[in-house]
Amino acid sequence: MALLNRMDWYEIARTTNWSPKYVTEQELFPVEMAGDYGLPQEAWEKYDEPYKQTYPEYVKVQREKDAGAYSVKAALERSKIFENSDPGWKSVIKSHYGALARLEYAAATAEARMMRFSKAPGMRNMATLGCLDEMRHGQIQLYFPHEHVSKDRQMDWAHKAIDTNQWAMIAARHFFDDIMMTRDAISVSIMLTFSFETGFTNMQFLGLAADAAEAGDHTFASLISSIQTDESRHAQIGGPALQVLIENGKKADAQKKVDIAFWRAWKLFSVLTGPVMDYYTPLEHRKQSFKEFMEEFIVAQFERALTDLGLDLPWYWDHFLEQLSEQHHGMHLGSYFWRPTMFWNPAAGVTPAEREWLEEKYPGWNDTWGECWDVIIDNMVEDNMAMTYPETLPMVCNMCNLPINYTPGKKWNVKDFPLEYKGRLYHFGSEQDRWCFEQEPERYAGHLSLVDRFLAGMIQPMDLGGALNYMGLAPGEIGDDAHNYAWSEIYKAMRAEKKAS
Amino acid sequence: MALFPLSSNFEGDFVLQLLPVDTEHTMDEVAAAAAHHSVGRRVRARPGHILRIRRQGSDEFLPRTMKVSEAGFKPTETIEIIWEASKH
Repeated sequence: MALLNRMDWYEIARTTNWSPKYVTEQELFPVEMAGDYGLPQEAWEKYDEPYKQTYPEYVKVQREKDAGAYSVKAALERSKIFENSDPGWKSVIKSHYGALARLEYAAATAEARMMRFSKAPGMRNMATLGCLDEMRHGQIQLYFPHEHVSKDRQMDWAHKAIDTNQWAMIAARHFFDDIMMTRDAISVSIMLTFSFETGFTNMQFLGLAADAAEAGDHTFASLISSIQTDESRHAQIGGPALQVLIENGKKADAQKKVDIAFWRAWKLFSVLTGPVMDYYTPLEHRKQSFKEFMEEFIVAQFERALTDLGLDLPWYWDHFLEQLSEQHHGMHLGSYFWRPTMFWNPAAGVTPAEREWLEEKYPGWNDTWGECWDVIIDNMVEDNMAMTYPETLPMVCNMCNLPINYTPGKKWNVKDFPLEYKGRLYHFGSEQDRWCFEQEPERYAGHLSLVDRFLAGMIQPMDLGGALNYMGLAPGEIGDDAHNYAWSEIYKAMRAEKKAS
Repeated sequence: MALFPLSSNFEGDFVLQLLPVDTEHTMDEVAAAAAHHSVGRRVRARPGHILRIRRQGSDEFLPRTMKVSEAGFKPTETIEIIWEASKH
């Protein structure tokens, strides 16, 4: 029997709105889950999804994708690529798996909310496939690292990280809880798929796929390329929703959600992806700097996506562009200096050759972050290792939950952005973080940052050991220099040479 | 005497740090406590300089002998620790 072409039946099949008789529309679409935009169902029926895919087509394509990625893994399982790869590269994949694998499962819940509670039939169809995508991403990104658990305990954090109070995971949970776990279906489409996935996921997956191939880790490269093809489809759920809102006079509400989610995503990427691209990836394998990659794949594309829809650039756009050269250097320095609190081993990435590269890509690096690194390196050269570790906690932003840091040295401009709300003093890492809080203070006010928890006596004993225990970091998992400080030998040799001459 | 948390923003350093001090500490003692977490770790010592304390956003240094309890700080308030050339 001949099959109809997809477009002969797709729209009829997926137009599944109806007039409920046994319950009210509000009972069918509770405001908490569906959102309260004051738009009738008919307005949402104009939602026009850019990807029109049917379930049989989806299954066929996904099966092929899985077969491809799992075959590469099977073929290379005895290759010793992991064992032989640069320790900096191992840290890249540990941070990636730990930060994302279980959050992919959480994202399946967010997609499921759009699937059930969106009033737009097209969105419901796309989110059904999106939900299955996220389950696949959760499964594949837990299965792939599992083979390395017996070789390296930190690989266990692919599964474990999300359940811990490790500081980066508190930050990640706070962000994803905000944009995808506690928002209505339409907000999820704007904040998760449009702002986060269109804006940033591309970078994590495209950038890392390129770096993975360069580093010879073809298993990881094929895994994340496989995931990326799903992301590029379901990331487009939000665009048509924004269009519906804008056409119906709801631009201000839509814009605000984009602005919050984009800023918050940027902060998370500044700590997770910035250090990976500019410090962990071995110099010879770096394709582009983090800033160059951001400018090419995020700034240009996201600007176009916004203007195509008739949205404005976020109000902080100029400041965001400035931050591309600055914020992630401090995030890296902080995560290195507080390295025992990491579940991967940060690569310092500051040999003379790497510093030359940093100076070329970020003019002025040596006079700023470089000045802090000079002191750390001097301590290493003099075997004064105690001084290369902290004895207190960094202050943490009450929005992004990351250390409040900015540019040191000759351009020192570090600043707190405080706010007193109902008798409690909150600290923020930027005007934008504070602005996010001010948009809906009650949403965020009750959360305790790691420092708030420490001061409340929730971390005992109140020392490094107590903090590591609170973060769930067991012996063998606690972070240390990725290369066991071998890189500092170059500086020791330089010092000896200088003395000799 | 009581433990009092402040937030240290040390000139030349890159990050704010939690700084536990005592309400009886003078501003010079607060500066020394802050220096412990920055100088020699990520900030070079500056010979011929002393360290002064000011509130964030203020140009005025607090008197060196002023006690924490007299300064009217809020718990975790951010103070700036600034290098000042010695007068002699």
